[in-house]
Amino acid sequence: MLQSSWMGYGNISRRSINEALKWDPHLIVGQGTSTDPGPGYLGSDKMYPYHGVESLKRDFQLSLTTAYENGLLFIHSTGPPSGSDLQLEGSLQVIDEITKENNMKLHIAVISGEISKDYLKQKISQEEKIERLVDTPRLNKYLTLKDVDRAKRIVAQMGPEPIMKVLDQKIDGVITGRALDIGLHMAYPLKHGFDKGLVAQLGKTIECGTLCAVPPTGADNIFAWLRNDHFLVRPPNPDKKCTIMSVAGHAFYERPDITKELNPGGYLDISDAKYEQVDERTVKVSGGKWIPTEYSIKIEGVALIGYRTISIVGIRDPNLVSNIDEFLQKVKNQVKERFKDKSPLKYNLVFQTYGKNAVLGPSEFIVKPNPHELGIVINVIADNQKLAHTICAFTRGRIFFNDYPKKTTTAGNVAVLFSPGDVDLGPVYNWNIWHALKLDNPCEPFEVKIIDFPRG
Amino acid sequence: MKTLSDLAKIIRSKNAGPFMTTVDIFFDNRESYLKIRDSLTNEKISQLYNIPIKDVIGIFYLDIVMGIKVTFIKPPGMASGDQECTDIFGSNQHVPLMNFKL
Repeated sequence: MLQSSWMGYGNISRRSINEALKWDPHLIVGQGTSTDPGPGYLGSDKMYPYHGVESLKRDFQLSLTTAYENGLLFIHSTGPPSGSDLQLEGSLQVIDEITKENNMKLHIAVISGEISKDYLKQKISQEEKIERLVDTPRLNKYLTLKDVDRAKRIVAQMGPEPIMKVLDQKIDGVITGRALDIGLHMAYPLKHGFDKGLVAQLGKTIECGTLCAVPPTGADNIFAWLRNDHFLVRPPNPDKKCTIMSVAGHAFYERPDITKELNPGGYLDISDAKYEQVDERTVKVSGGKWIPTEYSIKIEGVALIGYRTISIVGIRDPNLVSNIDEFLQKVKNQVKERFKDKSPLKYNLVFQTYGKNAVLGPSEFIVKPNPHELGIVINVIADNQKLAHTICAFTRGRIFFNDYPKKTTTAGNVAVLFSPGDVDLGPVYNWNIWHALKLDNPCEPFEVKIIDFPRG
Repeated sequence: MKTLSDLAKIIRSKNAGPFMTTVDIFFDNRESYLKIRDSLTNEKISQLYNIPIKDVIGIFYLDIVMGIKVTFIKPPGMASGDQECTDIFGSNQHVPLMNFKL
């Protein structure tokens, strides 16, 4: 299995692919959806909001032409980063162009990762308990009809099963929207009867490309040989190698627990995993166990919370730096007083003060910092853009002119970074759905289309 | 007194989903690894991050790679993408643990 790493950063290496082709892979797998970059992308109405269309096209060009010329099956999740239908369509347009420009014909199963609101509402009406995945007051314990209505879009991490199902058909490859990364890697081996624990362990190990190698730079390809009771992993790039530390250490990456992680239909337990260095660049892995549970998938949704305007100002004057807390509190009070007549329209003003506690927030442990300069992000979210802009500009004005002890700066208090000084950032979303949906049929919510590329 | 940043080879943080932060610590020396492994508690994590103890999901370790993982729910209002969130990817939240002293 050739793992192409993240599809869309424009980092996939031609050199590594050529090297890997000497090892005769059966298929090429790569992921391209993630919630890491935050809720703004699932809410976004842009087709290419993340890395732009050029890098996405470059990576697909490499992957699809490699698959086409060498007769390899390809399985990719895409629609970066959210995997919404809109962003998936962006990727399908790219694939369309590539197949046209390269005179390729591809018969592709396209599986949507978006979940319809009606489908979820029906589940809730049937008294299905859709429970939150993290015990936080930010989420309703059980998904409500209102949560679904408030959500701009809802996607789900499909498991391997919808992909396995389309592998019954005569296709050149599979393109999915939002999907579980390891599921992409599990589908083909599961179809061929390999052990589920071993296959899930394979997925966990190679899902991020050479992050399981040294040096651990991402977005380079990795290669795995799957055998009946173990797999071997080695980077095609001759400048990189896999070590026991790099491979086993990757089990830590971006997950809450090392040895157990809940996946659709079970836990992967790697507490008895074995790692063996078989040559300088290759590690042999075995011992992953699959512990079955009730089948559920993670659903993800975002809701509009308002419209944002920001302004960035710098402070170097020591008299203001040393007075910053009282100074900003006074500004907040003035804003509250000035805009009290806007009710019931809502707004919220936050200052992120770089140089003080703008990175660790409530976990900051330096109680009395001693910075020589500060950067302040005036961060306003309001019910409409006009109000957010008005409040941000008013706040910036107060910061520019307000009085403070020992003030000498009668021509302006702070260094405004940009012109225009106040930047409208548009709609803002936050996660309002992060829940587990139980399924009797793992394929049920996912719509499949078999499409001939180039599209007519 | 030595701090964790003197003893560990890698200390990194990242989101484990938008509501949790996870900190990974790797050692290249067994003695340091065992010392830290056996002295980290949920209570200490709660103090270091100024979060309720019930929000510490756990401290996990894997002897074979001399690695420790600490996972906790982000402080209120700090979920990835919330207005007061300061770190969308959670990739600079390892610092309070760097200062952990035995």
